Amino acid sequence: MNTYLLQLKRSPRAIAGIAILLIWIIAAIAGPSLLPYTYTGMDMDNQMVAPGEAGHLLGTDALGRDVFSRIIYGSRSILTIALLTSLLSSIAGIIIGFTAGYFGGIVDTIFLRIMDILMAIPPLVLAMVVLGILGNSTIVGLTIIVSIAFTPATARVARGALLTCKSNEYVDAARIRGESHLYIMFVEILPNTIGPVIVEITARFAYSIMMIASLGFLGVGLQPPTPDWGMMVIENKSLIRAAPWTVLYPSLAIASLVIAISLFSDFVSKVMINEE
Amino acid sequence: MKSEPVLEIKELDVAYHTLTEMVVALKGVSLAVGKNEALGIIGESGCGKSTLFYAIMDYLPISSSRSGEILFKGEDLVAKTPKQMTAFRGSKIAMVYQNPYSSLNPSLTIGFQLEEVSIFHHGMSRSEARMAAVETLSDLHLGDAAGIVRRYPHQISGGMQQRICIAMALLCKPDLMILDEPTTALDVTTEAVILDIIGELKDKYNMSLIYISHDIGVVNKVSDRIAVMYRGEVVEFGNQNTIYKNPQHPYTRALINCMPRAGVLKENSRLNTIPGYVSRRSAAETGCPFVARCEKRNATCEEKYGMVERQPDHFSACDRAYATDIPDKVLAKEKGAIPEGSEPEHKTILKIDNLYKYYGPHGKRIRALDGVDLTLDQNSVLGVVGESGCGKSTMGHTVSGLMRPTRGKIIFDGTDISVSWRKRSPEVLRDIQLIFQNPGRSLNPSFTIENIIGRPMLKLLGIKSKQERRKLIVDILKKVDLGEEYLYRRPKQLSGGEMQRAAVARAFSIAPNLLVCDEPTSALDASVQASVLNLLVDLQKDSGAAYIFISHDLNVINYLSDYIMVMYLGRICEYGTKTEVAGSPRHPYTEALLSAVPDVDPSLKKGEIRLQGAPPNPTKKIKGCPFTGRCHRKVGSVCDTTPPPRVNFSDTHFAYCHISPEILNSEISVKGIEDPADEKVI
Repeated sequence: MNTYLLQLKRSPRAIAGIAILLIWIIAAIAGPSLLPYTYTGMDMDNQMVAPGEAGHLLGTDALGRDVFSRIIYGSRSILTIALLTSLLSSIAGIIIGFTAGYFGGIVDTIFLRIMDILMAIPPLVLAMVVLGILGNSTIVGLTIIVSIAFTPATARVARGALLTCKSNEYVDAARIRGESHLYIMFVEILPNTIGPVIVEITARFAYSIMMIASLGFLGVGLQPPTPDWGMMVIENKSLIRAAPWTVLYPSLAIASLVIAISLFSDFVSKVMINEE
Repeated sequence: MKSEPVLEIKELDVAYHTLTEMVVALKGVSLAVGKNEALGIIGESGCGKSTLFYAIMDYLPISSSRSGEILFKGEDLVAKTPKQMTAFRGSKIAMVYQNPYSSLNPSLTIGFQLEEVSIFHHGMSRSEARMAAVETLSDLHLGDAAGIVRRYPHQISGGMQQRICIAMALLCKPDLMILDEPTTALDVTTEAVILDIIGELKDKYNMSLIYISHDIGVVNKVSDRIAVMYRGEVVEFGNQNTIYKNPQHPYTRALINCMPRAGVLKENSRLNTIPGYVSRRSAAETGCPFVARCEKRNATCEEKYGMVERQPDHFSACDRAYATDIPDKVLAKEKGAIPEGSEPEHKTILKIDNLYKYYGPHGKRIRALDGVDLTLDQNSVLGVVGESGCGKSTMGHTVSGLMRPTRGKIIFDGTDISVSWRKRSPEVLRDIQLIFQNPGRSLNPSFTIENIIGRPMLKLLGIKSKQERRKLIVDILKKVDLGEEYLYRRPKQLSGGEMQRAAVARAFSIAPNLLVCDEPTSALDASVQASVLNLLVDLQKDSGAAYIFISHDLNVINYLSDYIMVMYLGRICEYGTKTEVAGSPRHPYTEALLSAVPDVDPSLKKGEIRLQGAPPNPTKKIKGCPFTGRCHRKVGSVCDTTPPPRVNFSDTHFAYCHISPEILNSEISVKGIEDPADEKVI
């Protein structure tokens, strides 16, 4: 544990990333209860006021809704969905990738081809089409669709991690002890692939944020009035000259969160490599 | 001998700076290599051998510091800038590394890589360089030099690759060549050829050599003088014969006694072990580096410590190797050897009948086992020896159930077990255990030692209670010299020897009747190997289990086995009791193997049989004897066309060879490993 802290101390970028991420997490958890405005509350006297005026820290939009409050509320849904998708797609990826890699041969070929087919469709397009057909997007629906779109990539990572461990002799030792396949895969091998898996989960987290923001921007994300960062950008695009803050601050929110997670994920992968 | 030294190292210190501390890698190293002299450097891993080599070449990482003097023909290399060093690297000091495959570029032809050297260092044109390359290759006894230069590294064998690396070093026409464990990754037969070549070339090119190895036997073959290193210091330095016959430093003596060697057998002696392990050295530490593990330490030894010329041309930092105030443990242990007359019971436990194992698809089949017959008695140890690729591991893995034989039967205790592990009964799985070569890979790094040893107990013995299991685990840990505190440790927190002992404990925790050991000590240092071998001997004696002990090292096999089986290309060459096979080998291949084994005692000289080439392609079906292409006693065309008949020499001793039994019995061209009656402790 001590070496992690030492390595963290030497990496200002990782510290910056973790700090920004923590701020967002705290904002998502505690923010809404502290805010003077709700995300739907319209201040009819102060429409499109500039940041800092009339008690609106980041200004208001055309309907007089407080931009700051909407961003803070928006962080809740985006963080929840991103965290869930990165976890769900990693779990699904581990199950599929491990099964394919462990049994090898024909099982491997079939699984890999199915994954190849899924991978041939860009995840964004896949999610967009499915969400478009299904119509109303809820947090649950969005999470499941994005997870499915991400699974082929995580399955490949998990399969690769399993293959490097599978050649180790402790696997052979478990076999000639008569252990079941499930035991070997998930008790013997899984703990030793945790490094690449954690790296993949953190990287996936950043991708999920971008994906959800993109889906919101394209109008198939969470539906109004739920505040969604991507949706906030597209809603206010006509105001980009008159009230640039309505577009700028949600965009900055997306960027800062993605950058923070990427910095954190870089650090995690570096630590995991050092661990080897 | 007292000619102007080519390389003289004076008081060289090297330290590495890590995140948290400073580690001393070399301390006050002083050495000299004269013209046309070969200096051997031995020591266990972590003793600074390779660091010394990197320090000479200025290849140390940025996080290190270096002080002292390295005089190469009078010029101090420590003071040179990296740019000035390029004039020395390669052209004046050449080097050969341990792993030839990774030192050659796989995407360039061998010729191109050899030519580069002459073009860069001597400004030759490409055609001149090609001629020089071909010429040097023929110096290395590489038959078809003109053909080899057109090939890529992966198209030639490991032994040839290493010769290419040596040729590369030679093309620079260096004054000094440094070889860092150049034969460690190679088979003994190939090693013997390369060591011969190195000795020959040294004289031909009038070079000086520094030969780094962990194996005294190998160093003996090429070096005139030997330096023994321990924890970054040279503790003893002298002539090879005096080092062996009359070691002054307790470490040198202990190390020699650790090694399984001619005349040392489990029946007459235990191997010496050195307690503890090579620990990192901090900057604050002074005095004798060996003091913590030394059996001969006393109150005065710290102050007397220092490099002194004890005998003419024999320097040592300590002279207490034979100190009499503390009794010799080495000799005392002798009495603990196996009592005479404990005849193995003749109850057959394992019978292998005409076993075949093929890998790969039709057409490109690799014949790993090509008709092996074998019987093994309870309470006996069968040593299986052969070069890599001879099928010894495949046999071990087939017996232990990791793979299913293609054809043939394996009868274990009356049941046919020629099926894979999934179809074996829990009793058979329990009865046959396997110990792997690399404990770092065979113990799951995510588990504690308690879990690792406890799992087979739960799974195969059905001991459900955790307390009961823990009690048994502590007992078995005690047997392998590990304390209770190891229960909660993970493999990464253990040293290599401790890990292998934990692996042995896991195998023995469920009282198997047959233990397959697949090169269990070849990844370990001499002193650690000795402790694991002693342990295996003791446990075998206590449990009465039978062993199949697979190793490439004939000295180890000779120490531990009751029977020896020599394999070549998936077939048995020779089988017999230890004294029969190692004492009077009959098959030409056994002779060649025996004569290739490096001797720890430099005065022993066995026959000089050198095998050229590599074993034939295992995908081709062999009509005659598999050894025919490399055999030095080939009878004639019959060897190529007819499989060799079985020749019996006694009830237990047989070989497969075309040479008539009379000739095999009378003409013994290689002296076997010494008579066991002749006890040897240094």
